[in-house]
Amino acid sequence: MLTYFRNIGQGIMTIVSSMAIAGRHLFTPSVTLQYPKEKWLLPERSRMRLMNKIEDCIGCGQCARSCPTECILVKTEKRGKEEAPVFASDGTAKKLRTYVFDIDMALCCYCGLCTFACPTQCLIMTGEYEYSVYDKDEHIYHFAAEKPLTVAGESRQNPPEG
Amino acid sequence: MEVDYSGDIMTLNMGPQHPSTHGVLRLELKTDGEIVADAVPHIGYLHRCFEKHVENVDYAGVVPFTDRMDYCAAMNMELGYVLTVEKLMGIEVNNRVRCLRIIMAELSRIASHLIAAGTYGNDIGSFTPFLWCFRDRETILDFFEETSGARLLYNYNWIGGLMHDIKPGLEEKIIEFIDYFEPEVDNLNRLLSDNFIFIKRTAGVGILSPEQAVSYGVTGPNLRGSGVKFDVRREEPYLGYEDYEFDIPVGLGEHGPVGSCWDRYMVRIREVKESCKIVRQAVARLTPGDVREAVPKRIKPPAGEVYMRTECPRGELGYLLVSDGSLKPYRLKVKSPCFTVMSAFREVSRGAMIADVVSILGSFDIVLGEIDR
Repeated sequence: MLTYFRNIGQGIMTIVSSMAIAGRHLFTPSVTLQYPKEKWLLPERSRMRLMNKIEDCIGCGQCARSCPTECILVKTEKRGKEEAPVFASDGTAKKLRTYVFDIDMALCCYCGLCTFACPTQCLIMTGEYEYSVYDKDEHIYHFAAEKPLTVAGESRQNPPEG
Repeated sequence: MEVDYSGDIMTLNMGPQHPSTHGVLRLELKTDGEIVADAVPHIGYLHRCFEKHVENVDYAGVVPFTDRMDYCAAMNMELGYVLTVEKLMGIEVNNRVRCLRIIMAELSRIASHLIAAGTYGNDIGSFTPFLWCFRDRETILDFFEETSGARLLYNYNWIGGLMHDIKPGLEEKIIEFIDYFEPEVDNLNRLLSDNFIFIKRTAGVGILSPEQAVSYGVTGPNLRGSGVKFDVRREEPYLGYEDYEFDIPVGLGEHGPVGSCWDRYMVRIREVKESCKIVRQAVARLTPGDVREAVPKRIKPPAGEVYMRTECPRGELGYLLVSDGSLKPYRLKVKSPCFTVMSAFREVSRGAMIADVVSILGSFDIVLGEIDR
């Protein structure tokens, strides 16, 4: 009987001492962020949606090869000899015409390995994170700006063989 | 007149969507009234074919997948993997990489143990410690986000180096956080660990004796909670852990017999303090250097087999890597600490009350992503 009341007493005492610690937080300011109105400032290295500056892309397909989830699809063809040469902004000659550059952001695992594989630093991860869509197919982003000249011009496809 | 008091055995399914199973785990409880006669864990609800899948991914691409095994301590998961590949390839990293890896791994350990303590309190029935633990974990995740760009699945440890160097000034912020955090641990103790009701719910419940723990191959805080002083960081040091001063806390059995749920919980709280010590020492040892100095252009290990074990927050994490000299792993086997402790669950929970099953399961601190892989 004595143990019973002692247990109750100790239980109450321990709650009171806990409440004393927790009670200090009554006077601290609130930290809630009213999300759609206020936004958290993201650090500059944030890895969110992928973006390709297609004018600098040389179509080498290194990103597609380094991707662990195979979410990047690159299709290229060789430019003809008679065509005027095209250069990326850092002076690299664009020998291949990239006519398909699709990134499926629904498959992307946001590891950032492709951005390090890119030789011209045209593939970057932006800080953009509000891009929810209603249809899964809308997560496929098409970056290619050029059209293929030859129908049989698919010199390289993703995933590469071997 | 003889009366048979053993009632009918009733089967009770706990999970897979039970909040205290920490993931999708089904426990098939055979209950005799309020007493658990047998508890059979059924795993596999989160199976993603990790080990088979990585045979089709190149070595650098495996790191994001290792993150997804134990998502509460992703830094430690990828650390174990990159150390395995580096051991096979014979890569030596410089001092800055070693120190940064230790800082990140120990901060990750603190964050993981905070989840363990917070959710355990939540399971037992106190909600405030959960929020407090997550508040402090948030600061650690901010450090990780600032350094690697991701909050949970970092891909920060690379084979032969690190993804990024830390931002200038982050060392001071980390030390500032540790200075703030160490007294907070005492607050948490006053709030939860020494709480009379919490002790009543956990002490003397789910006793895992040292002999049982060793025979089941239980590692990490669960083994140390049973009073066995074993830590891979001390037994088989990696990354230069032998030069660091830290204690290995073990369960002392202040409340009831050694190896109870309270002991396992308390080992984690004490380990957090030891991790703070290690972070302080590692920050003091930082020297300038290039973090991507030893990253190979092409990761093609020689044919061979290597096993490497590291101490992740949940115990001993081992990777067995078999390479056939190609660009992709031939076989990668993971020895997961949560899986081994799950095998001991059946014996520990036999004879416990139904309400104590929650308490036992929470004290094991399992992550289903790692059990099922």
